[in-house]
Amino acid sequence: MADDAPSSSTFAGNSVDSSINQDELIMKQQREIEQEISETIPLVGDLESLQTLEKEYNEDPVYMLKVKDLSAKYKYIRRTRPDGNCFFRAFSYAYLEHLVTDKQEYEKFYEIAKNSKEILVALGFPQFTVEDFYETFMEVVQRVGEHAGGTLDELGAIRQELHDKFNKQGYSDYIVVYLRLITSGQLQTEHDFYQNFIEGSRTVTEFCRQEVEPMYKESDHIHIIALSNALKVGVRVRYMDRGEGSQVMAHDFPEGAKPLVHLLYRPGHYDILYA
Amino acid sequence: MAEKYNTKCPGVKRLMREAIELAEATEEYCARPLEDNLFEWHFTVRGPRGTDFEDGIYHGRILLPKEYPMHPPHIILLTPNGRFEVNKKICLSISGHHPETWQPSWSIRTALLALIAFMPTPAEGTIGSLDYSPAERKTLAKRSSNWVCPQCGQISELLSSTAAKPPTEEEQSVLNQIAFKGEEEQAQKPLGEPIFEPQNIPFTQQVLESSDTTTSFLDQLTEILVALLIGAIGIFIYRRWNALASADSEL
Repeated sequence: MADDAPSSSTFAGNSVDSSINQDELIMKQQREIEQEISETIPLVGDLESLQTLEKEYNEDPVYMLKVKDLSAKYKYIRRTRPDGNCFFRAFSYAYLEHLVTDKQEYEKFYEIAKNSKEILVALGFPQFTVEDFYETFMEVVQRVGEHAGGTLDELGAIRQELHDKFNKQGYSDYIVVYLRLITSGQLQTEHDFYQNFIEGSRTVTEFCRQEVEPMYKESDHIHIIALSNALKVGVRVRYMDRGEGSQVMAHDFPEGAKPLVHLLYRPGHYDILYA
Repeated sequence: MAEKYNTKCPGVKRLMREAIELAEATEEYCARPLEDNLFEWHFTVRGPRGTDFEDGIYHGRILLPKEYPMHPPHIILLTPNGRFEVNKKICLSISGHHPETWQPSWSIRTALLALIAFMPTPAEGTIGSLDYSPAERKTLAKRSSNWVCPQCGQISELLSSTAAKPPTEEEQSVLNQIAFKGEEEQAQKPLGEPIFEPQNIPFTQQVLESSDTTTSFLDQLTEILVALLIGAIGIFIYRRWNALASADSEL
């Protein structure tokens, strides 16, 4: 919107002021919506039976068929707050939750996570702040590692701790920021490859600054491809939309990888699925 | 200070780290939190060399939202400078985009460096910008070193002669893209938890609240007038139509 505004200073009178007011009004309304969402929907919710989805689409035959199909494949859903960060939050929650019971995968991931900071600093990200996000991220990862593969009680406790941390805005957002940085790092490292995915004339770096690194920017395929490749984690996304057919299509990232994280995509939003 | 805030909270930890990083004054900038409020800082910057501001030293406040660093800091200049209105919240954005493009990996240092870099750019009628003549800006720059902050004292003594760490190439390219503009007061009311609100609201607050209500009022007035006008035309056409219809039936 602001891109189209004439930058000529000769018309810097009322026309500019009123367009700014419009902008401000839209932003104000957006903030009110955001506030309402943040007051009613937790960052990451409790485990819910898939039947709750059936209720949601009672009157909608197209979605109803797809929910039925989904129910045959999954038992539970865990909703995330639709704040533009949902892919990153859902992904990290589901993956860390998986690591609780998979010590071997944890060891593999720990090495990748540990080396990620150096890669980012080498790419020119400011060391001071990257370190800040890295430390909080690793603190949560290590807590999982300390209890991974432990007794049942221990697993229950660490799951609860994870759930609490992901619902504390500070921790939760720090994890999202760090995953955004890793995604941006991957895009920039392999920029020749990812350039093909970017529509228009933007460079990979510009795309990262505008669509990846800032908070609340929604994720697209390119984000998922980059993050799953950077961390070497298989993600299966189930697509539920108004498209034809009664099946929820699955898409695996990276292609052919064994999915450890299952996400439900409905236009503009990701939630976590459990078999 | 450490006792008052939850140092487990990443945002608090981050601000404390930034306070340590910026504690030592440089020749270009310095900034530090108020003694009783980690979420309000005072800063001092030197006007950029080779510009109308080069003799100037400028002081101001930085307000950190409770969501910092997820949301950008707000900057308020206190020293008259001829480029930005004083006592008016300005926030950074990437030119041509909305301020949401702020990135959590930027810091208060980024904001200050960007502010310095942005000072010599044309005002172009943006909110919060001033378009004073070069002569006026130079006069204000000369006067600025005598400016005294009630909390920090004579601002010319706040900067040191130590050269600041030069920005990296990457950082420089980011700095060149950052723009600043004023913002509507009512749209930026902080939400929730009062602990992060400035405790002792300084003299500047009242001035802040008064800006920009007039333009939106005028806009509303225009809209009402246009609506009335359209209504009047509608009634006029309707009556004409009726008159014609009845004239027809009489024939």
